[in-house]
Amino acid sequence: MGRERLSYTEEMVDDNTVLIQRTLRSGQKIHYDGNVVIIGDVNPGAEVVATGNIIVMGAVRGVVHAGAGGNEKAMVLAFRLEPTQLRIAGHITRPPDGQDLKPEQPEIARIKNGVVTIEIYNGERQG
Amino acid sequence: MGEVIVVTSGKGGVGKTTTTANLGAGLAAHGHRVALVDADIGLRNLDVVLGLENRIVYDITDVTGGHCRLRQALIKDKRFEGLFLLPAAQTKDKTAVSPDQMKALCEELRQEFDYVIIDCPAGIEQGFRNAIAGADKAIVVTTPEVAAVRDADRIIGLLEASELRDPKLIINRIRPRMVRHGDMMSIEDIIDILAIDLLGVVPEDEAVVISTNRGEPVVQDERSRSGQAYRNIVRRIKGEQVPMMKLEEGGLMSRFLRRMMGLS
Repeated sequence: MGRERLSYTEEMVDDNTVLIQRTLRSGQKIHYDGNVVIIGDVNPGAEVVATGNIIVMGAVRGVVHAGAGGNEKAMVLAFRLEPTQLRIAGHITRPPDGQDLKPEQPEIARIKNGVVTIEIYNGERQG
Repeated sequence: MGEVIVVTSGKGGVGKTTTTANLGAGLAAHGHRVALVDADIGLRNLDVVLGLENRIVYDITDVTGGHCRLRQALIKDKRFEGLFLLPAAQTKDKTAVSPDQMKALCEELRQEFDYVIIDCPAGIEQGFRNAIAGADKAIVVTTPEVAAVRDADRIIGLLEASELRDPKLIINRIRPRMVRHGDMMSIEDIIDILAIDLLGVVPEDEAVVISTNRGEPVVQDERSRSGQAYRNIVRRIKGEQVPMMKLEEGGLMSRFLRRMMGLS
């Protein structure tokens, strides 16, 4: 594991975090000034907007927006990252058309060199 | 004291009315006293599906408005002893009834019936609010289509917000061959998103169209697959453990079954 992995994990330490212990269903929206941790899924048609990071201990299939205030260091981490649309700060991305790839491990999305990059998250640091 | 169950879906055309009629008829066939309430005011058709349209004198708005007694508006089914219908009004709209009136109505009905089943209109507006107001259980009907599942998810969220917890799911009009070829959402795909208990799966069946047009619930058709599926659902509502019907030999269904059993 590289040093970079260490740095983003440390940035996750923040005093302003909300814990949501349910699945967000279609039509439900969370807007929070800080980090959002969800124990459950974010279903298609649901929306999570946070000025900080978004961590989902489940599947993200709806719209997630981390760093909504413009924080380019914000990230989205999910057990299964398959969002309708993923936004970080001012960057808006969506899965490539026509491809139906199902992730099989946790993934992390963040901005690297000005582009939203999605990588496998293997959480080595916790071990 | 009977229980009040609302049959809902969000999206229209997925089979709420057909489901309501068949569950009602099926429960009545088991000897229960059942009242079916058509809450789709302005677009009534539960009476048509049951073949009782020509017997309507009073409707739900006459009862809530105090123009008649509940007993006068209830139509007794011609085939099933113990099955009654409270029809919707056709010439009014959803605002003709309030949630409080529905609650009072359901309380009155549950004194006399073992099951009160409410056919909810499509949508999430006042008609939906009325239909769920007096219910203590909910059945969500969906078809294996992305739009229907999306709406079902929205409905489950709204039911939870209204304190109607643990709704049960019926997947209607599934076509096992299309699922096998990957052209239709599978039961697993749907459960994965909705994450609620499965009450039953009804296969696509021409017998439903025929019976619906004739005003005879398919649940009494001993030979049809859909009739069998509804009879199984009826027994599950009564609290019996009934294994899921095999839609295809050795196919996806049996794999799913094994998983279900492993979980329960």
